[in-house]
Amino acid sequence: MSDLVNATGAAARTADVLLRALGGRTVMLRMPAPAVPTDVTEQLGIATPTFQDTPLGPVVYRKARATVADAKAAKWELLVSATVVASLVGSLTYTSASVLFAAAYGVLSNDELLEIESVTQEQIFGEPYVYRLVLRAPLSQMV
Amino acid sequence: MQNAKDTFYVTLQSRLAALNPARTIVVRGVVRPGTLVEENELPSAWVPVNAFRLQWTGLHVNSGGPLPMVSMECSIQYATDGTSGNGGMDRGRLLAAMDAELVSALSAEPHTVPKMNYSAAGDGVAPAAMGTNVFWADPVFGAATAAEDRLARTTTVQVYAYQEAGEL
Repeated sequence: MSDLVNATGAAARTADVLLRALGGRTVMLRMPAPAVPTDVTEQLGIATPTFQDTPLGPVVYRKARATVADAKAAKWELLVSATVVASLVGSLTYTSASVLFAAAYGVLSNDELLEIESVTQEQIFGEPYVYRLVLRAPLSQMV
Repeated sequence: MQNAKDTFYVTLQSRLAALNPARTIVVRGVVRPGTLVEENELPSAWVPVNAFRLQWTGLHVNSGGPLPMVSMECSIQYATDGTSGNGGMDRGRLLAAMDAELVSALSAEPHTVPKMNYSAAGDGVAPAAMGTNVFWADPVFGAATAAEDRLARTTTVQVYAYQEAGEL
């Protein structure tokens, strides 16, 4: 039975259904263009990369309000469908989800660019069914 | 002073890459020598290990001479978690190897290089040589710090250059 669940990706699809039922929405994953290996000006901050926004959904903020601490930027937890992450890893030719998120510049949500602070995944039978991103608001919004 | 910072970084990166070509990092999908300047990269919470991260932390200008003498402090941070296959038990040896590479790169003669202007450089366009040199003192190694399974050290080096007329 466990093999059947694993092989069909039922857990990931169930998580997708739950994310949609909880008001799943779409945010944008902002990816920088690949670096130019021979261009030293990029390493010196003279040339800057272009960015591409890729839809990421369904996603749900785990809490309705951010985690706020004195003198620190607000943090959010975002639950992301493993199905969409798997499709992005394949279509953008990244080797794994961790490489994809490490390469991402941030998550664009409500016209606000949030930095990805950490990424963890929930697994069942070795297959991820949801990713948990900890996002940090820009320092300019710190209160 | 930006030209001096750029020149020092490119010099240090090329010396470290020559000493250990296997020390590399992946930045935006591209394999590069394992040295970077943090202020020139995209802001990120991710800290690369087994690589040298440069921060420009101090600045002092002496205007007494014909040309202003700029003294800048370069903070070089590096860390290692050891090799996972060895259970991280080799992290001390890996940090020592990075110490040795840094000593070799910064102690190698000459301690001075011509200052270059990279603002117009690019693919097929060489940087322009300027009229003065960039030079630096011996590095000062800070204490190694251990945080959970990570061993890290910060080394500082004073970098000097003359501020040429019209230079930013």
